Amino acid sequence: MLYRAHHGWLLGWFRRRLGGAPCAADLAHDTFVRVMQSREAHAIVEPRAFLRTLAHGVVANHWRRQAIERAWLETLARQPEPLAPSPEDRLLILEALYRVDAMLDRLSAKARSAFLLSQLDGLTYARIAGELGVSERMVKKYMAQAMLQCLLALQP
Amino acid sequence: MTMPSMHHVPGAAAPGFDDLQQAAEWFAVLQADSASDRERRDWQRWLDRGPGQRAAWARVEAVAGEFAGLSGWPARRVLEQGADGRQRRRRAVLRALALVPMAGMAGWLGARTLPWQGWTAAERTGVGERREIVLADGSSVWLNTATALDVAFDGPLRRLVLYRGEVLVSTGHRDPAEMRPLVVDVPQARLTARGTRFAVRHAAGDRVLLTVFEGAVEARPAAGPGVARTLSAGQQAWIHADGVDAPHAARGSDADWTRGMLVADGLRLADFLAELSRYRAGYLGCAPEVAELRIVGAFPLADTDRVLDALQVTLPVKIHKPLPWWVSVGPGSGASRR
Repeated sequence: MLYRAHHGWLLGWFRRRLGGAPCAADLAHDTFVRVMQSREAHAIVEPRAFLRTLAHGVVANHWRRQAIERAWLETLARQPEPLAPSPEDRLLILEALYRVDAMLDRLSAKARSAFLLSQLDGLTYARIAGELGVSERMVKKYMAQAMLQCLLALQP
Repeated sequence: MTMPSMHHVPGAAAPGFDDLQQAAEWFAVLQADSASDRERRDWQRWLDRGPGQRAAWARVEAVAGEFAGLSGWPARRVLEQGADGRQRRRRAVLRALALVPMAGMAGWLGARTLPWQGWTAAERTGVGERREIVLADGSSVWLNTATALDVAFDGPLRRLVLYRGEVLVSTGHRDPAEMRPLVVDVPQARLTARGTRFAVRHAAGDRVLLTVFEGAVEARPAAGPGVARTLSAGQQAWIHADGVDAPHAARGSDADWTRGMLVADGLRLADFLAELSRYRAGYLGCAPEVAELRIVGAFPLADTDRVLDALQVTLPVKIHKPLPWWVSVGPGSGASRR
């Protein structure tokens, strides 16, 4: 019912926001999926305002994914020895990058760097401390902070 | 408060916040090269304590596994670039928001010609009013409804004193040489920001609610400075004069008031009306028969009368308004379309 009454309007909203990009229909669909995930509502009051709020989140997420995808393709292109992951691998890695990026969303830049240097590049705390210009004790704090953020992001 | 769930597995033990926090701390200890056998034994003992600990650690392993899967690829640069883009967008959003409260901006531009040293001002908003002020150091402060705040940047601290209401602070770094800590003082505690975005709100029961959106904030209760506690991004906790309650997970929608919206996602009607009543003068009550109805929606704070009308249309409630400033919400004949 909500879908039938507001789908056309929401699609128009996305088209205006995205300058007629072809993915507007997908994003409108994503938005309705989010509505259905809202629990035990007896009523959705002001449905358009609510849809607009969810849609803002969907659009922000869309731009973020695009930024990640672009950075990933650029990074691959810049590799001195051409890394040639299979198309399936590329997609799997990209999906993992989206998930990991969302988990790290709220961290400070330093905590984020510390965590990535440790988990992706395998640097010791001492080297991370040198790289970031902070104490080793601080690196340990960043690591705990970053892991907690990731855990909370997984938290239902 | 439970969060909407996408990953919830019925029957699986859900680790509590404290379990997750301890698990994250153990992870940081064990990842260090300096981790000792003794620390590993202590971790094992912690893990054996119960299902909460084991469930929390299982999640740590899931997260670590996610990163391990990426470690063969040049992923770090991608993720750091992604972060830069997001910071830029977030700043763009803040700029866009800053255009709205013209009165606040005009006040700031006018005051900028005065010397900032020794400048102290009482910032106030009335019921239903919201505005942003920008401070000398570039920090932004949103004042929510019925708020009173003093700004004192002339001493060894960048000090904000919140007498009543609610603020959302985004710390700024206009001058890289500025080393003075930014603090928010409330009667119950001193809150010290560590490069951050956070909200402080006075609530009934002589307590304040601290919500951290980015970075971290240390809360030092006035009557028990020894029991300071640091909250990190995504956490929220009640603060009393003599202590800080255990933090819980914050909701992203906790800052939506700066956009003039109240977002409810399965909120009880009673809680919803209590929240709404902050934005309107007079009494707004809720009958116990309808208190447990759940609401989903995004509501404009600027027109609370319209919100109440909308409730009457979609929920089985009736709005009673015996006096212009007295509104009570009771059971009605059913959700009937007008």
